[in-house]
This record gives sequence, structure tokens and C-alpha cells, in this order.
Amino acid sequence: MMAPQPAIEAIGLGRDYGTTRALEGLDLIVDRGTAVGILGPNGAGKTTAMLLLATLLQPSRGKALIFGHDSVGERAAVRRRLGLVFQEASIDGLLTVRENLRFAAGLMGLGGAAAHRAVAAALERTGLAAKAAVPARQLSGGWRRLTDIARATVHAPELLILDEPTVGLDPEHRDRMWMLLDAERRDRGTTILFSTHYLTEAETCDRVILLAHGKVVAADRPAALMSAVGTEVVEIEGPGAEEAARSLQDVATVRRTVRTDRGYRVGISGSRGDLARAVGATPRITRFAIRPATLEDVYFAQTGGTNGMPAGTATSTEGRDGRGQHGPGDRRS
Amino acid sequence: MGAVNTVRAIVVRDLSRAARQRSRLLGGLVRPFMWLLLVGTGYNAIAHVDGAVSYQAYVFPGMVVMASLFGAMLTAISTVYDREFGMLRLMLASPAGVPTILAGRALAATLVGAFQGAVVLLCLPFVTPVTLGQGIWAGAALLLSAATSSVLGLAVAAPLRSVENFAGVINVVLFPLLFLSGALYPTGGMPLPLRVLARLNPVSYAVDLMRHALGQPTEFGVALSLVVLVATIVLAFALTAVVFDPEQRFTFRHRPARS
Repeated sequence: MMAPQPAIEAIGLGRDYGTTRALEGLDLIVDRGTAVGILGPNGAGKTTAMLLLATLLQPSRGKALIFGHDSVGERAAVRRRLGLVFQEASIDGLLTVRENLRFAAGLMGLGGAAAHRAVAAALERTGLAAKAAVPARQLSGGWRRLTDIARATVHAPELLILDEPTVGLDPEHRDRMWMLLDAERRDRGTTILFSTHYLTEAETCDRVILLAHGKVVAADRPAALMSAVGTEVVEIEGPGAEEAARSLQDVATVRRTVRTDRGYRVGISGSRGDLARAVGATPRITRFAIRPATLEDVYFAQTGGTNGMPAGTATSTEGRDGRGQHGPGDRRS
Repeated sequence: MGAVNTVRAIVVRDLSRAARQRSRLLGGLVRPFMWLLLVGTGYNAIAHVDGAVSYQAYVFPGMVVMASLFGAMLTAISTVYDREFGMLRLMLASPAGVPTILAGRALAATLVGAFQGAVVLLCLPFVTPVTLGQGIWAGAALLLSAATSSVLGLAVAAPLRSVENFAGVINVVLFPLLFLSGALYPTGGMPLPLRVLARLNPVSYAVDLMRHALGQPTEFGVALSLVVLVATIVLAFALTAVVFDPEQRFTFRHRPARS
């Protein structure tokens, strides 16, 4: 029996804008029903990658297959299976919540009783039934985003692509939004591909792809990425941080050392000696902490920091190119 | 069936928006009535056009076309707003494809333009006697006029990148189309270059067809007007479908500044 086509298969997918290379070449396989997060600093190519997979941009090179359908040659077949959520909610403020959903259902080709049922189900699923008759412009940002999720899922898509869906949401609405997406996945087997700047949101997904400067710099399960940084991370701040970071090599196995604006983050693994004593022996330390490794550490290590920090600020005992974490033969999520 | 549902969704949405933007709707209706009542009354005293009982009666077909022109074109050009505020990308992500999306926009704009023209047309008995046959003919001419205006509006909107150009479009496109159409005065007395431009202006043929429907002397004849208007609709739609860049919204920030 043939294995089902993956939800997404991208092969060297890239895009240029004039002379700017926005996305170098994305190699990626996303299995059906999985959740994959795309992380990276602003301008890394996340949105370009998502728009290419969503058939809204033409690739400059490579290709993408969505459920086996070519994203360029078979756009209509791809789009029928897609639900899209953009950075800004795509909701018409002059229409009510119900009218927005009805409009979205119509755009996906649904009409009559089918559209009516789909809209009613989406309202129920997202808890928007009580606000169905409210003009969208009267909704708060959180409710607008939930309406946007309802809009994107009204036609029961097999693949949801969400570009920074939680930007500007308070924790309560963020949580509600992820609950909705989890339910989509659980109940309908929807595959989810999303980008985010909130790295904790990506820690529970099946696979994380880190982009920087239009290239994939790491791709793996979150746990695997985090273990590559170390099981624990030592944060050291203060003028003597560099010296203290060096001293840790005498008492622990240092996996990665990353310089940030504030000081150093040192990833360590395995058994360790008395870190506090090693660091405490170094003068001019203003802060010292030990905590489990997070995706943020992976992000800093692989992208060289946030807010346009140059890549050269990150150093590592394993090198910075992410080799050993992804490759053509390791694209499956 | 999917494409029909998509067109219907766009039409319903655009009509709902138009109905809820009452000030815009009223503004579109005030313009022709201002001309009829204020300018027309004043001109009645000083202007006499051959074949028309009064300037107001002469200008009436032009006012119907004016109402449909502004209503349809501005609705079609509001595609730029949708592009700017993210609704167009939703439509572009539809499986139906760009031509279907454009058809939906054109149909919605046609209906808005036809409605605004119809409101003016319904006031015709207050200006000049009219038969039922003339009214039906005028209704058909109005639909054709609105359809032409909507497709021209889409063609204008296709290359526009931002709403900042919107006011400029009204001045540079809409007013010349109106002033060179014979809606307000006969074009026969204009200098040759302007007369040529008037002949190239599809709105001239919409006005002429409306004059024919309402029993006024015409310049081009029904057949020529019909051919020109239908050809304009077909060609402008095809041109829009070709020129329309579905990626424009997404590649905007990567392009050098250009108005």
C-alpha cells in the first residue's frame, strides 16, 4: 500500500525580489497531521516561505507539493485544501462575524446549505456564536483574531498556514487560539504550519525550522534542537561575564556559548561540577542563573541573536552552521 | 458551481459594504442632483441645446450616466483598498482564480453603479415626459453604462499600489471621462483634439445610447454605441486580467518607491 503524500514537500524552494534573495532554498517535508513551527528573526524569509507554500507567490527556484499537488501548476487543488491566517487579521470591519465567515465560505466555493452549515459549525467551534451578528469592527483584537481563525477554517482545510497568528494578542486570547488549533488537529487531523516570535509556542510542536538570512539554519524536533544547545543553560551577566563563561569549561561540558547584549549564555550538558563556585570566583558578575535549555537558546545560537544582532556575536564549540541537525535526508517531521 | 458561489460571495459582500457606507452612497447621488438642480437651473436661462426642451432635459441622460459612472468606477477602484487592508489576498487565495475574482468585483460594481443611476433615472418624469418603452430602454442602457464603468474602474485599479493614489485617480480619470463624454454639453463644438478624445472615450457612447433611449438626438447611433461599449467591456476586462498582479500585495515592500 502506498504511503499517503505528505502535507508539504518543498524541494529547494526559493524566492528572489529583484536582487534580494529572500529565501535561499527550503527543503522540507511535513507529514499530515503534524504541527511545524517556523522561527527566525525579522527578514529571515518566514513570510516568503509561507506565501510560497500558500501559492500566493511564484517561486524563483525549486518547487513545493501540497498533498502531492504542485503549488504552481495545480493552484486550485492546493487552495481548496488550504486555510490561511496572515499577520494582520483578514476581516472586513463593515461585515458581521457571520457575514465574514459566509464570505470566506463563498470564496472557497461553498454555497447554499453547505455554506450555511460550515459557517454555523465554525461559529460553534470557535465560541463565536454569541458574537455572530456583531460587526467585526466592534470586536477587540483578540476576538478579531479568533474570527480570523474561524474564517480560515470554515471550509475544513487539511492544511493551515499561519503567519505570526498571535502577534498583539493577550495571553488569554493566545491560549484560546492555540486551543482552537489543537482541536483542529485532534478532531480533523489538520496539518499546521505556523511562524511565531513567541518561541515557547513552538516548543510543543512536532518540528521546528529555524530560518536566518533566507536559509534554513536548523530543522528538527524541538527537544533535539534544545539538547544540541545543552541540557542546561548558564546565564552570566556583567563585565566579567566572558571570563566566567570561559571558566565553566573546567567544571562542565560546554556545548554552546552565545554572547548576547546582556552577557553570555552557555549551554552545558552531562554531569557538572560546582558552577556557582566557578562563576563566583570571577569578579564583576552582576547576574548568574542556571535553567533548562529553551528554544530561545537555540534561536540565539543559530541566528546570532534578535533585533538584527550580527551573526558573528554568537559563538559555539560546535560551530554555527547547524550541521548535524538537518540535511536533505532528514527533512521529515 | 464553485466559481458561481465565489462570484456571489463577492457581490453580496460588496453590496453589503455599499449599503453600510451611506455617506458614500448619498454622496454619489447628490452629485448628479446638484448638477440637475443647481447648475441645470442656472444654465436653463442661458443655454439652449438643439433638440432638447431645456438644458435640464438635455443634460438628464448625462446625469444618469454620471451617477452610474461614479458609482461603478469608485466601487471597482476600491479594490485598491482591499489590497491595502488585506481583503484582496483572501480573494486571491480562492481556488476560483483571478478572472473569477475580477468578474465578481465587476458585477458588484455594476450593480452599485446601476442602482445609483436608477435613482436618478426614476426622477426623469419630473423633468420631461417619458414612456414606459423609453424607461425600459434607458434601464438597459444604464446597465451597459454601469458595466463599462465598472470594468474601466478595475482596469484603473489593477496597477494602483496604494490608496494614496485614489484621489488623483478621480481627478485624472473620472472627471476627464465625464467632461469629454457629451454628458454636460455637446462635444461637436469642441476643438478638434478634444473632439477626437471624446470619440475615443467609451463614456461618450454610453451617454449617446442613453440619449437614444430617452428620445434625444444622437451622434453615433445605437449599433455603434453598443459595439463600442461591449468591446470596451471585453477588452478592458481582458487587459485587467493580464495586468493584474496577484503578487503585488506581497512584494510591495521589496520594490522601489513608485506612485
